[in-house]
Amino acid sequence: MNTNSNVYTVIYTTVIVVVVAAVLAFVSQSLKGNQQANEKADTISQMMTAARFGTKAEFQKMGNKAVLAKYAEEIGAAYTVNVEGRKVADLDLTKVYSPSELKAQNYKLKGDKEEAELPVFEFRNGTAVVPVYGAGLWGPVWGYIAFDGSNTIIGAYFDHESETAGLGARIKDDPAFQQEFAGEKPAFTEGKVFEIVKGGSPKDADGKEIIDNKIDAITGATMTSKGLEAAIDLWLAAYAKHFSAAEDNNTEE
Amino acid sequence: MDAKLKETILNPIFKGNPITVLVLGICSSLAVTVTLKGALVMALSVIVVTGVSSLILSLLRNTIPSRVRIIVQLVVVAMMVILVDQVLKSFDATYAIDKQLSVYIGLIITNCIVMGRIEAFALGNKPWPSLLDGVANGAGYGMILLIVAFFRELLGSGTLFGIDILNRFGYVPNNLVILPPFALILLGCIVWVQRSIQKDLQEK
Repeated sequence: MNTNSNVYTVIYTTVIVVVVAAVLAFVSQSLKGNQQANEKADTISQMMTAARFGTKAEFQKMGNKAVLAKYAEEIGAAYTVNVEGRKVADLDLTKVYSPSELKAQNYKLKGDKEEAELPVFEFRNGTAVVPVYGAGLWGPVWGYIAFDGSNTIIGAYFDHESETAGLGARIKDDPAFQQEFAGEKPAFTEGKVFEIVKGGSPKDADGKEIIDNKIDAITGATMTSKGLEAAIDLWLAAYAKHFSAAEDNNTEE
Repeated sequence: MDAKLKETILNPIFKGNPITVLVLGICSSLAVTVTLKGALVMALSVIVVTGVSSLILSLLRNTIPSRVRIIVQLVVVAMMVILVDQVLKSFDATYAIDKQLSVYIGLIITNCIVMGRIEAFALGNKPWPSLLDGVANGAGYGMILLIVAFFRELLGSGTLFGIDILNRFGYVPNNLVILPPFALILLGCIVWVQRSIQKDLQEK
């Protein structure tokens, strides 16, 4: 048989491509459930790490099922708010936002601010977790910031798609960087909401930080630090009315 | 096992190592050797991809129209890479590593070793030797990856497989080791060592 004839070549390549496509479609469909479960468990463990229910490594060891069970136990309420601080809709308690869903909201924040519906996850112990999303150096960066009842940050966890290992990737890998967020208080009412700068906040004579919304950037990862700062700034500013409303309520009570 | 088959397996591991002798696939060896865990998963993925695609293409070798053989190879290799990526993504244990390796799993498609071995070996040999050749080349690649990752993780993070080795003695992790250029320096050292053992590789 002449394997070099035009007809043979066309038929051969068509068959190969169709067979390969069928195999891939089948595998993709059959593994989809597992993959989504993994992504969801990963997102949940990031939120719970920010909210100080454990460390990321601990959650990883627990396995997906245990992570989901723990989340179901701890989560109190989940809802979306708009930039005016008004509640838009309640979320299902098993619903989390994947990075691509955050990306969609990020577009709205940059364009049609009023359209954005931003998720808030409230745990039973009073901790509220909100996401942030933005552009790092090589790809998107995102993360979760946890607040206590008085709008003070108690923890944060960040993730990225492709920041430089050992430099920008430290927003995810370096617990010391995430630790810096604890105790900070974003300036919801005036000026820049949050800053990540060289040296962080200036300190007084006792070594106590004077300014509450500044933390130290990562050496050698200026672009990632700036990108993360912009992401935090944009998102927290969008949540500002929600959080200041919550604070007003607290003082009235 | 006959001598030729043994040669097929052993040659790519040392004498004809794809990275240090043929200098193929060094791009990914710079990118995924920051941690041993990542390097191990990458090595296993490449072994599976080179092995199985060599096998499939060797089985098809007499039917492939020679004008479109590169395209057919590419389709099969791409299929294998996507399969590996999908499988890694769907297990609890490997999900985090797949995330860490991110695009580099997908980039196995462009790894010169895979296409190189198919073109040079699988299209002219029977399925069984082709499978062995693919696996052995993947293993030769993986071995270098692990050696480089061993030093980079030890000196760059002070750990091995994430377990603290040097940091407890007050070691300060070296940032240069984490950056890609250091992988090249290490690779250079490995080539140097190999060439001083294997004198016939030295140019006159």
